[in-house]
Amino acid sequence: MSAGPGSEGAAVVALRGVDVSYAGSAGGPALQGVDLVVRAGERVALVGPSGAGKSTLLRLCTGAVRPDRGEVEVLGRSLSGLGAAELAAVRRRIGTIHQRLHLVGRLRVVHNVNAGRLGRWSTWEALSSLVRPRETQAARAALSRTGIADKLMARTDELSGGEQQRVALARVLVQDPDLVLADEPVSSLDPARADEVLRLLCETVATPSRALVVSLHDFDLAVRRCDRVVGLREGRVVFDRPAAEAGELREALYLLERG
Amino acid sequence: MTDLPRIASLEATGPAVARARGWRGRVRPRAAGRVWLVVWVVALAWSLSSFLGEDHRVLNTAGWGAFTEFWAAAARPDLSADLLRATVEAAATTLAFGVLGTLLSVLVGIVVAPFMSQTWWAPATASGPSRLLRAGGLLLSRAAVALPRGVHEAVWGLLLVSVLGRDPLVGVLAIAIPFGAITAKVYSELLDEADRAPYELLREAGAGRVTALAYGLLPSLLPGATSYAFYRFECSIRSAVILGMIGAGGLGLQLTLAFQGLQYAQVWTAIYALLVLGALIDRWGAHLRRGRARGRWAVSGVLLAVLVAGSVWHLAPDLERWFSGRTLELLSRLLDDLVPPSLPAGGWSELVAASVETLQMSVVAISLAAVAGLLVATVAARGGTSPPRRVLGWAARQLLLLTRAVPPPVWALLVLFVVFPGPLPGAIALGVYTFGILGRLFAEVVEDLDQGPREVLAELGAPPLASFAYAVVPAAVGRLLAYSLYRWEVTARETVIVGVVGAGGLGRLLEQQRAGFDYPAMTTTVLALVAVCLLVDLLSLAVRATTR
Repeated sequence: MSAGPGSEGAAVVALRGVDVSYAGSAGGPALQGVDLVVRAGERVALVGPSGAGKSTLLRLCTGAVRPDRGEVEVLGRSLSGLGAAELAAVRRRIGTIHQRLHLVGRLRVVHNVNAGRLGRWSTWEALSSLVRPRETQAARAALSRTGIADKLMARTDELSGGEQQRVALARVLVQDPDLVLADEPVSSLDPARADEVLRLLCETVATPSRALVVSLHDFDLAVRRCDRVVGLREGRVVFDRPAAEAGELREALYLLERG
Repeated sequence: MTDLPRIASLEATGPAVARARGWRGRVRPRAAGRVWLVVWVVALAWSLSSFLGEDHRVLNTAGWGAFTEFWAAAARPDLSADLLRATVEAAATTLAFGVLGTLLSVLVGIVVAPFMSQTWWAPATASGPSRLLRAGGLLLSRAAVALPRGVHEAVWGLLLVSVLGRDPLVGVLAIAIPFGAITAKVYSELLDEADRAPYELLREAGAGRVTALAYGLLPSLLPGATSYAFYRFECSIRSAVILGMIGAGGLGLQLTLAFQGLQYAQVWTAIYALLVLGALIDRWGAHLRRGRARGRWAVSGVLLAVLVAGSVWHLAPDLERWFSGRTLELLSRLLDDLVPPSLPAGGWSELVAASVETLQMSVVAISLAAVAGLLVATVAARGGTSPPRRVLGWAARQLLLLTRAVPPPVWALLVLFVVFPGPLPGAIALGVYTFGILGRLFAEVVEDLDQGPREVLAELGAPPLASFAYAVVPAAVGRLLAYSLYRWEVTARETVIVGVVGAGGLGRLLEQQRAGFDYPAMTTTVLALVAVCLLVDLLSLAVRATTR
């Protein structure tokens, strides 16, 4: 399958003929014969019904799930042959966002943002930062990009849901990853806020050397905010189009869902 | 029972409303947390320095031989048929104390709780005198249970032994009096906290009071009340062992006799019996807590009914003796002896010094228990993936089981082998015991934590210790603090049982007075202990209210 537009950038993610099946699951394989290339500078949306394999695909990219067949290449490394230390080195360059934010409520915002740095800090630097926060300038800069610079020293569980979402985004910003993977980041938000969060998410990969892969339920949002839309159903890639052309496939996806 | 801190907070002094509002709003929580930390460090340093000061030698190398001999005996407990038979018999007695003591406590709780609830005393009319009368009634009912609850089971045991002699019911009553009071307190709080809308609705629809209660209020109260009853059962078994040590019989008595006879092999037989009993009840509790199925409670209920019947049969209480003239005479004589209270021989200064020492012992003990508990709990928490991690976790859990299955007086006797007598060995003994209890509770907290944040940090490559410090500690610290503060108050009360073996504080004073038949002074000492516990309770209330 062709990589679609933007194919001049280097491949950040490359899946080739990937099959995944979960042991003991009653249904069919989670992914079947998936080919997908995401290049630097691209913002790719994964759309499709629940159970289509969107989450599995994202987990393949972090090495949390191993393919039964086929190859997974992330940031230029094939994940299959990597030892624990090398895999950790790749993971350090991947930022992940979940529907549940996984913030620590009792910590101050600055620490939750700085948690994005923990991959690079030594244990001592990490622990001492809890007493006297380090790199507060970078944390403040990240927070001002997401619009809540004034909350740097607030306690995280005292923030509103929307503000917490921005803290999670700021954490990814200070982590400064080359690939951002987001699994249903906006499914619990109202449309206006979902659009705002997705805009900020796209900003985390504003540099041309980076890429974003995000799974979404909202087809319109995917078309509006992303460069490319990949439709998944029952573990197979149904379509893979530039966002501008994907609009007309919405009907097809809904039909497929009904069928 | 999934939420022990919440239940524990119900045991604390003061109505729930005051706890919820507390000092919040007046003090900034963060600043308050730091202030408390400083206060705590100063108090700990002061306690330790007063224990260690005055060129006290601490370690007693002369006792090292006996100490190692004791531990060596762990590998070869006395397994002769006679002793095993006696041990099973003793275990049944201890279990019976626990079962019947809990049953009685729960019954007392159910009967008394309504009269202690704010709902009951809520003013019917807005008139001034009626308000005053009702508020007074509430206060009085609360105060009435403060005394039975503030006095440790062991003290009740000592008093009851002097009236009833070596009656098996001493063990049951000594548990039922303080535990009944605390259960009544907790049940009344549950009653006040319950959502009353369904009840009011049924009443409006014309249902009778009892019907409305049964359909509208009981269903929402039942889970909390049953969980708490089982928690009390676990506590009762531990208390039953201690009561045995002061002469009520059972495993505690066997343990003490073997210890006094330096029969370490026999001591270990009793300890292993305690371990088995403790492990069984732990499993049972965990089984009830983790599962949601109604069937579990039903099966357990039948099992409990069988245990109750078995306990009554085993103890075969002689109720006639209770109501005999002789008992009444002894009781009135004891009351005559106890009241009016008088100051100890050393006057106020001795009483104050002993009270301060008790407070210091509780501070040292709980600090030791909380720090060691936190370290071991992280290892003991289930969920490790690698085989060495699992083996280590299992070993840590056994260590925690051992330290809490062996009662504090035995730990005190052991520590006294190697540490010179005084408050320090008592504090260490209590600390070791409380470490077993806190460590297990901490491990449960760590197990129940949301794993999400930790996994996210691990994924982005954080070092293990760093992800622990960022994701686990902050998420758990609130509950760890609540558990520790709750146990602090319990520990302050328990200083009396290590004091009995001469380890300092008000407990030692009490034992001296008992040995000298100075009953009026004993009353004063007991009241001082109640006051110390109340102080600790109020302090922990203040800490909890200002740090969230």
